[in-house]
Amino acid sequence: MSPQLLALAVAGVVVLAAVCVETLRSRTARRRAVGVTAEAIGAPYILYFTGEGCTVCKTHQEPALAKLGEVRVDRVDAIAERMLADKFHVYTLPTTVVMSADGRALHVNYGYAPANKLERQLTDARVLPIGAPATA
Amino acid sequence: MATTLVDHSALKVNQTGIVATVLIAFVGSAAYRPLLLLIPALSIVLLLGTFAPNLALFKQIYFKVLKPRGIVKPTPVQDTPEPHNFAQGMGGVVLALSSVLLIALPVAGLALSLLVAVLAFVNLAFGYCLGCQIYFQLGRAGLIKAAQ
Repeated sequence: MSPQLLALAVAGVVVLAAVCVETLRSRTARRRAVGVTAEAIGAPYILYFTGEGCTVCKTHQEPALAKLGEVRVDRVDAIAERMLADKFHVYTLPTTVVMSADGRALHVNYGYAPANKLERQLTDARVLPIGAPATA
Repeated sequence: MATTLVDHSALKVNQTGIVATVLIAFVGSAAYRPLLLLIPALSIVLLLGTFAPNLALFKQIYFKVLKPRGIVKPTPVQDTPEPHNFAQGMGGVVLALSSVLLIALPVAGLALSLLVAVLAFVNLAFGYCLGCQIYFQLGRAGLIKAAQ
């Protein structure tokens, strides 16, 4: 077998392993972060973890957040406010957390979350009775 | 970290250059082995470009040829250049390691250079920059002062 084909196979295995590790990491972090509490404002809102060096935040996440309309978005610098970032297990930027009216994390998105996904999660948060357990 | 206007088209041309060069070296070397020399050459180009932006070959092609002739339109974004430079330098270091491996373990060297191309492609196509994420993690750990 040519070295090119072998190298292609090796690179493929590495990429596959990296995707698996990332998926596992994301699921673990999400499981730990869902249900974590922060400020309750009586309406669903979004915690948006970002940083100055985050390009995807500027090119993708912020335009998506701007499409959401009437919802409070609390912008958090993940490096300056490290304790809050750690509380929500933020390991990548951007991270968006959809908070319920009583201040519990309902949905946590590690990486870019498109506007329609956030809209769906906000709808979940709006219909959820205060005190109901977080599911996702 | 101070934000400034970063032309993302220059970054995309740079990523395209990396993907194209690695692919030419990878596929071409099956028929003409000296094409593998493109890997160490690319490593030098990336490392030089990291420390002296005027020597960043692909970015200079963009600024001196593609942009003035209207072939590629500029995309200025308020951004910080440091994570991108860090990612480029990381690519250069990995390609340097790949160049060394090509001498003793050609399969490992080729696989490593292919991974650099994959990451450059992911950045080009989906905007996900692994080097920038590592930069964020290092900043969080307090290992890079500029990120704090």
